[in-house]
Amino acid sequence: MAANGTIPNGTAETAKTQPTVVGINFGNSYASIAEGLSECIANEDGERQIACAISFHGEELYIGNQAKHQLVKNAHNTIIGFRNILGKKFSEIPKDKAVVSAPVIQHPDIPDEPAYRVQVLNPAPTPLPRSTTGTPAASNLPTPRSEPTPGETVLTVSEVTSIFLRSLVKSAEDFLGKKVTGAVLSVPAWFDEAQRAALEKAASDADIHVLQLLEDAGAVAVTTAVGQDTDLPVDRTQLVVDVGQSSLELSLLSMRHGLAYSLGTITDFSANGDSIDEKLIKFFAKEFTKKTKTPLTVCPATDNQDKRAEAKLRLAIEHTKRTLSASPGAATCSVESLKDGLDFTGSINRLRFDMEVRPIYNQIYDKVKELVESAKLDLYDIDEVVYVGGSASFPGLDETLAQGLSESVVTPFTAGTVIGGGVGDPTTILARGCALQAQVLSSIGHSEEDEEVRKAFQNDSEWTKAKATSKSIGLIFPEENAGEGSLGGQWVPVILKETPLPCRRIVGLQVEVSEAAKVGFEVWEVKEGVKIEKVKPPKDEDDPEEEKQEGGNPDEDDEEEEEIETKEKTLEKESFLTSLLFDVEEIEKKDGRSTARIEVQFLLGADGKLDVTAWEVKKSGKQQKATATVSGPS
Amino acid sequence: MKQVIEVSVVPPPLPQNWTPPESSSKSISPLVERKLLPAGHAYLGHVRRAIHKLSFEEHDK
Ligand SMILES: Nc1ncnc2c1ncn2[C@@H]1O[C@H](COP(=O)(O)OP(=O)(O)OP(=O)(O)O)[C@@H](O)[C@H]1O
Ligand SMILES: [Mg+2]
Repeated sequence: MAANGTIPNGTAETAKTQPTVVGINFGNSYASIAEGLSECIANEDGERQIACAISFHGEELYIGNQAKHQLVKNAHNTIIGFRNILGKKFSEIPKDKAVVSAPVIQHPDIPDEPAYRVQVLNPAPTPLPRSTTGTPAASNLPTPRSEPTPGETVLTVSEVTSIFLRSLVKSAEDFLGKKVTGAVLSVPAWFDEAQRAALEKAASDADIHVLQLLEDAGAVAVTTAVGQDTDLPVDRTQLVVDVGQSSLELSLLSMRHGLAYSLGTITDFSANGDSIDEKLIKFFAKEFTKKTKTPLTVCPATDNQDKRAEAKLRLAIEHTKRTLSASPGAATCSVESLKDGLDFTGSINRLRFDMEVRPIYNQIYDKVKELVESAKLDLYDIDEVVYVGGSASFPGLDETLAQGLSESVVTPFTAGTVIGGGVGDPTTILARGCALQAQVLSSIGHSEEDEEVRKAFQNDSEWTKAKATSKSIGLIFPEENAGEGSLGGQWVPVILKETPLPCRRIVGLQVEVSEAAKVGFEVWEVKEGVKIEKVKPPKDEDDPEEEKQEGGNPDEDDEEEEEIETKEKTLEKESFLTSLLFDVEEIEKKDGRSTARIEVQFLLGADGKLDVTAWEVKKSGKQQKATATVSGPS
Repeated sequence: MKQVIEVSVVPPPLPQNWTPPESSSKSISPLVERKLLPAGHAYLGHVRRAIHKLSFEEHDK
């Protein structure tokens, strides 16, 4: 707290000095940091996705992707995967995983505390402050100062996290040329109180003033609520697909004018980036054996040589994966001296890659269906898909999910925003959301009421509780010869179901005017659904192409019989609430139609009381308002 | 922020014999309890209106 200079003193100066606040996406395998809506900040090695790894090598400390490279030859001094075990007791940590880095040990002095033991060289006799931040100096120092002495260091998970976070913030400070005064950090939905507390402590030990720990879904909501230049409606249902390195996190969000809540979440630790890596590593290992006749067994590897080869492949495919997500052509993977001194270069194109990882795509698709079902919704109810995490950058995943989604669904792939660090880029979305959130929080003042407002951002604040609508409410403009079974007129939704209260919506539209120069409508609550029909495809008379192919292949005939599912959204009148009728004056005649422009406002109070106001939008600006009120549910 | 949502459909003129039906005594369906994500400008506005006891209109200013 004391570390930052934003403590209020009520003078005009404090208002002028803009605080420097950042957003941090702290994943288990990669982290990124951003300020405002601009792209993530690169560290001194030019990396925007910074590997969550620290590695001790003699007197050096490596942090980030450099540290990850130490996994090949210096694995026992290299620490990774610490985010996921932060805030856990030693006894709570599963020990059945294959270890490719410094193992988690019981701390020698603190009961039930997970820690790491690493070998270091202690500089002597004039100890320089060991750099725990920034780029390590080149390892070939001209003249070693006297004799460093080998030693051992034990670090808690919390200490490791602090070292890493400090380095992250330090490189951002170097880039910005300013001290960072506050940060919002993302946390996964499954982080419990102990984990949150541990992260907050590790951050503050790293001299970072934590403004908020923001759930990943919250960061997504912030990024996607602003800066969308697509025609996405302000009220929509989002599916967030986060394919992290260690877990798949799915959430369904009700996004209402930027105000969002979750309709359901699923976390799955088996469909993840690791399993994609595994497929790819196995694929290339096989290629290697085919080319060189040298056996190589990986994932899991038992032999030490194989283990090293696997570690090398794991590093090499980082590049391969990025090429695969960016282009459909061949992506290469090259490793010098992969095994027995033999170099390896292999390649894979997207088609083949998609084939290899198809089971994972399908698993994600199944989880999406499970989530939608548990929220009592249909895949067709999803208006937008948001992808998070590097492993969600593959078009094959989007194609897989598209099978079941409505054709009008917007995804960063359909919107063309997936690459480039912008609104749809899965690799920057969390850090940018956190950065914007940090700005939102630092815009709050320091009066007594402001402090109350600030508290509303704390986890589980009472203010997060809200009542929401369970049915959509809107207008029906009665129609002369409305068909049987129709709603009896033109439906215009105004407040959708799952909208938190209080809320206000104003719709503006042109309406055709009756001869008496009047406009009227009814206000209804409706029930929405999705009608699913299974139809047998028509016998292929109208498809000469297919007829040609039907060379009496019995398998194909069977497939032809399969029923096709068609879906359609449905609306039913639920209850009539009120109606309005009013005169209009400025009538526009065009193409034989007389129209006027009106606006209708729905104001739904916290108690569910609905005020409907309608008016004509006139050039003169003068407005005659018609109003009706519907009392709230008791 | 006051924002008008543009609707692109143009509803047909009222039927000749249409008179506005009497308001029903019905209210909207029962509300459900939800937990907001404490995130973004929209949430800030939501909380500010509640704490400062402002209406949407007052908050616009
Ligand atoms: N442009 C890209 N194309 C393909 N894969 C990528 C791309 N960028 C990153 N990745 C991969 O995404 C993975 C990292 O994902 P992410 O940053 O979401 O993990 P994380 O958030 O740290 O993991 P977790 O959510 O499990 O904590 C890495 O395996 C990386 O290789
Ligand atoms: Mg992640």
